[in-house]
Amino acid sequence: MRILLIEDDDSVADFIVDGLQQNGYEVSRASDGEQGLATAREHTFEAMIVDRMLPLLDGLSVIETLREENNTTPVLILSALGEVEDRVEGLKAGGDDYLVKPFALVELLARVEALLRRQSASHTQTTLKTADLEMDLLSHKVTRAGVSFNLQPREYKLLEYLMKHAGQVVTRTMLLENVWEYHFDPQTNVIDVHISRLRQKIDRDFDRALLSTVRGAGYMLHDPEQP
Amino acid sequence: MILTKVLASYTFRFMSLYVAALSIAGLLVSTAMYAVYTNNFFYSTSDSFNTEMQSFEAVYRRDGVIGVGDYIEKTTHLRRFESYYYLIVDSEYHKIAGNMAAWTPFKRYGDDWFSFQLDLVRGEPSASGQQFWGLSQTLDNGNILLVARDYNDVIYTMNLVTYVVIRSMIITIGLGILGGALLAALSVYRVDKLNQSVAAIMMSGDLSQRIDRSNHQGDFRELTTNLNGMLDRIEMLMEGMRQVSDNIAHDLRTPLTRLRNNLSKLQDLPGGERDTIAQELTEEADDILSTFNALLRIARVESGNQRAGFKEMDIKVILLDVIELYEPLMAAKSITLYQKLDHGLLINGDRHLLFQAFANLIDNAIKYTPEGGEITVALDVVENRAKVAIADTGIGIADTEKPKVFRRFFRVEASRSLQRGNGLGLSLVAAVFSLHKGDIDLADAGPGLCVNVALPGIA
Repeated sequence: MRILLIEDDDSVADFIVDGLQQNGYEVSRASDGEQGLATAREHTFEAMIVDRMLPLLDGLSVIETLREENNTTPVLILSALGEVEDRVEGLKAGGDDYLVKPFALVELLARVEALLRRQSASHTQTTLKTADLEMDLLSHKVTRAGVSFNLQPREYKLLEYLMKHAGQVVTRTMLLENVWEYHFDPQTNVIDVHISRLRQKIDRDFDRALLSTVRGAGYMLHDPEQP
Repeated sequence: MILTKVLASYTFRFMSLYVAALSIAGLLVSTAMYAVYTNNFFYSTSDSFNTEMQSFEAVYRRDGVIGVGDYIEKTTHLRRFESYYYLIVDSEYHKIAGNMAAWTPFKRYGDDWFSFQLDLVRGEPSASGQQFWGLSQTLDNGNILLVARDYNDVIYTMNLVTYVVIRSMIITIGLGILGGALLAALSVYRVDKLNQSVAAIMMSGDLSQRIDRSNHQGDFRELTTNLNGMLDRIEMLMEGMRQVSDNIAHDLRTPLTRLRNNLSKLQDLPGGERDTIAQELTEEADDILSTFNALLRIARVESGNQRAGFKEMDIKVILLDVIELYEPLMAAKSITLYQKLDHGLLINGDRHLLFQAFANLIDNAIKYTPEGGEITVALDVVENRAKVAIADTGIGIADTEKPKVFRRFFRVEASRSLQRGNGLGLSLVAAVFSLHKGDIDLADAGPGLCVNVALPGIA
């Protein structure tokens, strides 16, 4: 998996490059907008991480230019500007996700993984399946080992998001942004309570737990029998 | 120095302009008066000329030259004060009769009117350069009749008027300039005094100083009051800023010191323990970062720029979403939730910020309400204002502390030990509601706290 990082701050770049390399990614780095644009045109990458404020050519212009040239590589924007308007601008320019600095490495890794997955997921799927847990996206029926159970609308959305990102770490912020659709900073781990409620429903009566907590990062739904 | 200041002062310029305008107006009025007066004089006099001429002619026709001589004798005698003069000459301009010495060359105006200057009247010397105005008529036998009148009295009156006008204008201008200079000097003196006080405060940088009001009167005293008010406000804001930066320094020094101490210990620890400590240190650093983020966020919200991204939304939807998110947390603490939500109201705002603000309030309510307590969330729409009340049965906040809780880093003493937090939650809440032109105030729910929020609907 080749990833292009366009970031002018050396210490931030080193931190990201190290983190990505330790997780098995191959990383190229450009330190300004023009160099980044040239590298993106020259080689093919599976994903790009672009800082918003760059010398010579700013991050949003780089993304816009690439999108005009029909380059569809998924892009994660990094920025110190985190208000809603800034996010909207970033996504309008063609970014796929937006991460506000400072961030934890796990958050970045989770989002990169989600971006790569988004690329490969097919949109015609009508059922989601993780081990013996199944979700019918048309009838909104959820069953585990054939036993169906009732979910509140929000629980359904939460589970749907987890199942779409099965096998990946999903952070609390990702859940707030995608399931509750609010960008906000909870003072308490209010998400934990929702997760444990969901866990009560899907895991309690079964031997194998599918929904696990990843310490210091978030949650992951996965089939424990698959590596 | 003082003179140039006075001359350059606004008051002086204003007065000069005023005096100039007044003088021009005076000049215009006198010129008009002069014109009207002379016009009047010549019109009324020309009528009496005609009358004189007619009677003179009638006498001549009836009684001939002798009669005319008698008539002139009689009229001059009778009308001593109206200085009319009469003369009859033959076609050669030789005097036949009359009380003028001789015919004289004159300046003709057209018709039979003319003017002339005579040094001799009735053969006696007259006031030198006496001005005459006359009317002549040629009779059928070639003789010429002349009626004349001197108009020195008019010239005298005119000269007098001109003299008075010029004198009074000189006096007016003089007094105006003098008065202007005095007034200007007075205002320069007053402004100077005020300027010196202001400059002294500015130079010293000591914002606790005030301008002495007793040195100033009237409008200047009012200005002084306002300047002092401004100083009060600046001092208060500066004090607030100082407190905030003190608090930032204080609140961040403790975790940074801890971080530093633990870091220095780290290298001496065995592997396993080192990992645990490293994990803790990371969390500590994250807390510091999140405090900074919260500060920056409040600053951005307070700057007000975010109104650009406002959209229409239903306040009730936001409240329901917040309640839905926090409901499991309440259930976990066996807190009973009462919802008294009226119909919704469309407001203009930033849904993420409003969500954050209400989430902070509900989060606080949950934190400070004991197990088994109650939380009530109410929404009332009154006159296009959404009134939201969030009441709990927790420990509440003492009245003396209520005004302070919106300050950055302020934490109610009792809560310091009870709950962790950065003391910025309510500052952000206050900033968000103020951005939305709303109000927030704290009341006693007896027991517990009731937070009242009012937000304006779409106009």
